[in-house]
Amino acid sequence: MTTLPVGDLVALASGLVAISIFGILTRRNFILLLIALEIGMNAAILTFVYFAAFPQCVTAATCHPLTGQAIAVVVIGLAATEVAVGLAIVLALHRIRGTTNVAEATTLQL
Amino acid sequence: MSDWGAFGAFVGPFLPELLLLAGALLVFLLDVLEVRRVELNGAIAVAVTAVGLLLVLADLGVAPFAGLALIPAGQIDSIVTPSSAPLYSFTSLGLVFQAFFLLSALLVSLGSMSRPSKERGSAVFFGLLLLATLGMMLVGVASDLLFLVLAIEVVSISTYLLVAYTRRDARSVEAAMKFYIIGALSTVLSLFGVALLFGAFGTTNLYAIEGSAVGTPTLVLLGYGLLVAGLAFKVTLVPFHAWAVDVYDGAPHDVSAFLAGGTKKIGLFAFFLVFIGPILLARWGASFNPLGGPGVEIGPLLQVLLAVLAVVTMTVGNLLALQQKEIKRMLAYSSISQAGYMLIGITVATAPAVAGATLQIFAHVILTTGAFLVVAAVAALGVGARIDDWRGLGLRRPYLGVAFSFMLLGLAGIPLTVGFVSKFVLFSSAIQAEGYFVWLAIAGVLNSAASVFYYARVIKVMFLDAPDPSAPPSRPEAPGLAFEGLGYGRAVAIGLVAVLVIFFGIDPQPVLGVVQSAAQHFVLVGP
Repeated sequence: MTTLPVGDLVALASGLVAISIFGILTRRNFILLLIALEIGMNAAILTFVYFAAFPQCVTAATCHPLTGQAIAVVVIGLAATEVAVGLAIVLALHRIRGTTNVAEATTLQL
Repeated sequence: MSDWGAFGAFVGPFLPELLLLAGALLVFLLDVLEVRRVELNGAIAVAVTAVGLLLVLADLGVAPFAGLALIPAGQIDSIVTPSSAPLYSFTSLGLVFQAFFLLSALLVSLGSMSRPSKERGSAVFFGLLLLATLGMMLVGVASDLLFLVLAIEVVSISTYLLVAYTRRDARSVEAAMKFYIIGALSTVLSLFGVALLFGAFGTTNLYAIEGSAVGTPTLVLLGYGLLVAGLAFKVTLVPFHAWAVDVYDGAPHDVSAFLAGGTKKIGLFAFFLVFIGPILLARWGASFNPLGGPGVEIGPLLQVLLAVLAVVTMTVGNLLALQQKEIKRMLAYSSISQAGYMLIGITVATAPAVAGATLQIFAHVILTTGAFLVVAAVAALGVGARIDDWRGLGLRRPYLGVAFSFMLLGLAGIPLTVGFVSKFVLFSSAIQAEGYFVWLAIAGVLNSAASVFYYARVIKVMFLDAPDPSAPPSRPEAPGLAFEGLGYGRAVAIGLVAVLVIFFGIDPQPVLGVVQSAAQHFVLVGP
């Protein structure tokens, strides 16, 4: 069985997080922004699952082989909660402004 | 029966948290039953936070309440073996922070309970306030990175909604949106950081991480770096600060008080939990953990990074505060620069420095919460948000003027206020530590001196400047309300802060003793 080298996984996950940060900082549409957030969360989940099978965890006394997967499930729940709250805020904004465009919400920039 | 005993022993220490949860659920339930009274919801929040504060003080062994302690004495500051890897552990420093969080929530609930009685959304406000406080309490006992991130997330999600609770106010909803975007970014960064540390050490437990062998250098560096960035957003360190001013400015005043005075401190406690360990490992080396742990590779680097962040944060925060024309934005920038002072204690990481930073956090909790409550009270009187609008306010409203002056003097660190004591302990600890830490103390003293200028300017405007004759007269006083139409709750909260500032400035020993012993234990046994 061939396994993915650590360097490759870290590069992949870091790339996903970079895409996510770029998206969160530059997207004008709030829905796309939420998708960018999901990409970042999934990069973290991927990393947890990958490292669950990693020697550090398998040999450590405190670590069960399933720890990584269990954490991943928790993080998926966290991501879902976060997005639900984001949608609630964007709905409130849409009622007031009639838009989901982040760039148009600029009352505060003085 | 023994099952119940075990259950009680497990749940008992968490009684303050359970009370907060019960209070929040009760407030939401009353809203569903259409019992919508601000005073009632406020009274529930005040009762729950006050009892919680009392119980936490009892656990800390503070004299009059010590008999009520819920946590068996042996469980606080007990030495934890890395292999047991508990999700939570009780440290006295964590309990001290829990007391700060509850104090902030108590002041905000007191300050908000006398708002207009028919206001909609008061259940949302008080319910979310209690839920956010619950999350903050959990941060105080966390000893596992995942537990910590989840607890911070409980606070974040409650506060995103808290900022937008008025729902029809465009400014608040926009502030909530900004807060959410930055909060989401911070969550992604810290979660990814935790994932990488999990890869490096095979565990997310702080005790286990510190007791483990040296991890893969790249993973450790990246992991801690991302955690610094993720948590720095919560603490509003420069350059991760820009959101804070807009959010504090746009949020309803009482919510700003809670954000600046309360929830910001969870990030600081997370800094204590996560970063002091590696720094201590680097200092003590093999005598602390023969395997090396994360300290050898990351400790000194982390120290330099935090020192730079501290100096940049306090300087930039102060320079920007000097230029502000609006009172809330001035307070927001001052709050940012204060975070820089607190970071000094984490960088130096000796017991006196930890005590100094904790004391500084205590001063900031009461002073900032109080100051934003005064802003809320003044806004309710119909006075504008610009500093110029406050001309002559101190003479027309002496109660507010004098209380606000005490708070500003405390924030500036003038002797006989609690702000002076905390800065004195903090800066002298940095000087004792020698090396480049002396420069941190010098930067801190210079910045404190500069900050006096913008704090004193507000006092001058309030007491020495004549009111603007063209300004609209402030709303006439409502008859039958005490303290100049503030409402009882707000008047009591503001008065309490003003008294505490002076009381602990003259006799800091009650706080100082508890904080010093907590810091001593934390440096020895903390995660």
